[in-house]
Amino acid sequence: MTHNSRIENSAEHHEVSALLPWYVNETLQERDRQRVDAHVGVCASCRADLTAQLRICEAIAAQPAIDYMPVGSLKRLLARLDAQAESAGAPAPAQEQATNRLPWRGWMAASVAALAVAVALLVGNHWAQVDARQNQPNYRTVTSSAPRPQGEVIRAVFSPTITLVELQTILDEAQLSIISGPTEAGVYSLASNSTLTVRASLALLRQHSSVRFAEKTSPEPESGTSP
Amino acid sequence: MILPAKNSPKERDSALLMAIAAGDRRALEELYLSYHRRLARFLSRFTPRYENVEEIINDTFMVVWQSAKDFRNASQVSTWIIGIAYRTALKSFRRQKNHTGARSLEDYPEQTVDPTFEAEVTDWLKHGLSRLPIEQRLTLELAYQMGHSLEEIAAITDCPVGTVKARMFHAREKLRQYLPTLGGASSDLSARIG
Repeated sequence: MTHNSRIENSAEHHEVSALLPWYVNETLQERDRQRVDAHVGVCASCRADLTAQLRICEAIAAQPAIDYMPVGSLKRLLARLDAQAESAGAPAPAQEQATNRLPWRGWMAASVAALAVAVALLVGNHWAQVDARQNQPNYRTVTSSAPRPQGEVIRAVFSPTITLVELQTILDEAQLSIISGPTEAGVYSLASNSTLTVRASLALLRQHSSVRFAEKTSPEPESGTSP
Repeated sequence: MILPAKNSPKERDSALLMAIAAGDRRALEELYLSYHRRLARFLSRFTPRYENVEEIINDTFMVVWQSAKDFRNASQVSTWIIGIAYRTALKSFRRQKNHTGARSLEDYPEQTVDPTFEAEVTDWLKHGLSRLPIEQRLTLELAYQMGHSLEEIAAITDCPVGTVKARMFHAREKLRQYLPTLGGASSDLSARIG
């Protein structure tokens, strides 16, 4: 029996050989890593195998992967959860309870509350509009003679397919909050929640293809326009 | 959502899962968005259709939503989620009758490829991987694409460490049969690792 064949028939060879993939991906514990180092130094077969595994690992890592936008998929998951909750007659999620367990997420609760207000306003608007529909003309305008909500700085219309997550992301970026809407025509009234100028918020809004319309509705506050 | 920087990914995942267990859908959305890219990149290597990838990811997060309250910190949250995705993917791939991964190398006993005649290493590797039994390929990809340790793969696949080693061993052997010149014949490559 040759020196090489003795090595390749040893229990140590088989055990170390089985560890090679994790030596390659660098997740072995130090003791096992040293064991592989020592064996590979004397075993030509394991050196060759290690070369092969390195090539495979590098080739897999080099293969391009497509990055998918997750928001549409998330929307469909949430719709499934809604459908499941409806069919089971489940109560609404214990949102406040969860938030209380995570005090560092207070602002998140504020975002949820803002969305809840928006939904409530939407529902309220909807029923008010249904009630008054027979007295309205057959056309709609984006502008309105109705009093504007206090603090409103921008009126905006978003793509009908926009998700709540996308909407919240865009509003966060532009540092705006929903103060009313959407109306039946899909118009949101937005207010600034920072010292960012209205012009800057508008520019940020208009970068997004999901924003179909965005216009300033009141004179820019003095505090927001000073340099 | 942005969490304080002091939260490590593990702490952040645990906090989100705790919130999900209490019915917080915003936490589910956040966890979903933080895992989607990793899972989609992994799963898209097994199926070219994004519809299938999305179905597996969404099925996974349905289980996360329903089972978060049962999580007992026996493993990391990431290992738990990837384990659910692994089992969901396995079921999905088995359902796909025409999935090439369902075939094994034994279906191609005489077929080998010489990399010197291929334009890219990735081409022959893609062919070789697609002919592995799905459990073996998943094990190999969990190690080489996602970088999981032996113990993590055992937890993800809910198998003993010995089974993971055996699956990896067979995957390597079959790739060696399919790609005979891969087995270290190239001396210059051997020299690279000294």
